[in-house]
Amino acid sequence: MAVFLQSLISGILIGGVYALIGIGLTLIFGVMRVINFAHGDIMMVGMYLTYLLFTLMGIDPFVSVLISFPLMFLFGGFLQKTFINRVLNAVAQNQILLTIGLGLVMSNTVMLIFTSDYKILTTSYSSSTIQVGGGVSVSTPLLISFLITAAITAALYWFLLKTDTGQAIRATAQDRDAAQLMGINVSRMSIIAFGLGAALAGTAGALISPTYYIFPQVGATFTLKAFVITVLGGMGSVVGATLGGILIGITESMSAVYISSGWKDVVVFVLFLLVLLFKPSGLMGKSRT
Amino acid sequence: MNKTTLKALLGLASLAFLLLLPRYVDSPYALHMMILLFLSVSQGQSWNILGGYAGQHSVGHAAYFGVGAYTTMMLMHAKQVVPWVGVWAGVAAVVVVALVIGSICFRLRGPYFVLASIAVAEIMRLSAINLTTLTNGAEGILATEIPAFKIGERLVTDFSTKVPFYYIGLFLGLLTIAITYWVQHSKLGYYFQAIREDQDAAHSLGIHIALYKNIGLVISAVLTSLAGSFYGIYVGFVDPPTVLGLDVSVQIMLICIIGGMGTLWGPMLGSLVLVPLSEALRSNMITEGLVKIGLVSADSRIGLFLKENLSHAHVLLYGILVVLVILFMPDGLMGFVKKMAARRHREAV
Repeated sequence: MAVFLQSLISGILIGGVYALIGIGLTLIFGVMRVINFAHGDIMMVGMYLTYLLFTLMGIDPFVSVLISFPLMFLFGGFLQKTFINRVLNAVAQNQILLTIGLGLVMSNTVMLIFTSDYKILTTSYSSSTIQVGGGVSVSTPLLISFLITAAITAALYWFLLKTDTGQAIRATAQDRDAAQLMGINVSRMSIIAFGLGAALAGTAGALISPTYYIFPQVGATFTLKAFVITVLGGMGSVVGATLGGILIGITESMSAVYISSGWKDVVVFVLFLLVLLFKPSGLMGKSRT
Repeated sequence: MNKTTLKALLGLASLAFLLLLPRYVDSPYALHMMILLFLSVSQGQSWNILGGYAGQHSVGHAAYFGVGAYTTMMLMHAKQVVPWVGVWAGVAAVVVVALVIGSICFRLRGPYFVLASIAVAEIMRLSAINLTTLTNGAEGILATEIPAFKIGERLVTDFSTKVPFYYIGLFLGLLTIAITYWVQHSKLGYYFQAIREDQDAAHSLGIHIALYKNIGLVISAVLTSLAGSFYGIYVGFVDPPTVLGLDVSVQIMLICIIGGMGTLWGPMLGSLVLVPLSEALRSNMITEGLVKIGLVSADSRIGLFLKENLSHAHVLLYGILVVLVILFMPDGLMGFVKKMAARRHREAV
């Protein structure tokens, strides 16, 4: 029972970070109908940013979120304005290929600068744990990152539901043409949405950097996980992505314990195929063509 | 002489050239480059049938390439099955994989197929890493010796030089080109193109969408698997990242995108651009060239940096190429050529 609880809790904690990555992807898809295959690589850029801030200036990875969030927002806005914006009306495969290309450029540029060595960011609390009782313990960095994730997610919900810009973004996602007719500047909403998506991915990168290896190719795995999360939750649904992230986190940590850690990603992908087979609209998705 | 005879003569001449080349060229490096070129053409054409003609853009062709390569190598390594028998086991395995993928993905449209194709390729890659008893895990399979190929008692080749590989590669390349040509000019090809252009319209005309998508997938997967087996035997080594990685899928797709999807010549043009370019990067030819013409000094910091890093940069180049082609030449080189020809034609009229 303790093992079960233990893996459930760590699954939920890591799931929070996954949710952040998934929300970014789903936001971009919702507003632009573009599937961002560079999403994991944007997260990887966030990891290296955190690593740089930590090694050069000694800024704690969790504090560095305050710096990396706005920087990654600008990076995302730049990507949207210079590249993605040009293919918004192109066929889906060209959008996909473009983002794959951008991802390759990012990961390989980082590889040229930092080499492909694994980097580890060691903080004083990297391996410390908190005893919860009943033989269950929680990793401190995972707990802190989960709390930050929860705060950011809450702030994002508030932004999307209560502010004018947030409502404009949701309107654009619902119906781009109608939103434009209502006087919403949809191209600006697209830049904001991509910026937010990138900022969320970058933040997720910063949050996992104390517990994860940092290397240029780390993004690919996360891009795929982000897809699984968004499809599971329903493409375009922010609530769905939040739930999907937690669910994938739990699935992963359970299968690592009860099957083996080598197979945990396979379990996730098989789950993904099953979702495609039986409920392609996802948990929260409405079927839409 | 009309245009068709000219074309046929040109085709025969280049075929004769390719067939006779190993007689007059015995530099192993030149033959190696030609083999890489043949491999690239066959990968590109295989993808082209499904992606270019039927419009189903798979980003998981590494699954077929890798399963073909692994099956042949595993059988040869563990059971001493000769490769020209193992190849067909690879094909059988790939058909099963393709039909599983097809039955799941082709009920869905658009991005779902792309996502599912990646997921399946990843499942294959992770399985190859984890099924250590079968695949030797992350270490990969090394085949030091290929048994000699005999018909009856007569020795055909013992694979001691690159020449037999050259002819196998050439045959594979020609086979994929011929099949693409056949697809392009058959009813099947018209069905594929109808599905690509407008799935609903194709459906309303009575084309069985799922059936024809699956046919396209199986043809494409089988040819890719042959290319994979050939690669495995030629290089003598397979491991998960080199035959099952996402890079492999992207590279296969890139051949068609650069050359032009859905055209017979596209994958050949794409290969002619990509193979020499990535080889030049890999072998540090570009840095040496820059040093030779005096742009960069060999011992300067830039020179050393380029020498050290440019050889790893071929994937970076793939990325840049994809971005540039999509933004400025979305129909690839063939599209560009056609546009130029159309413009000249208009001006002439």
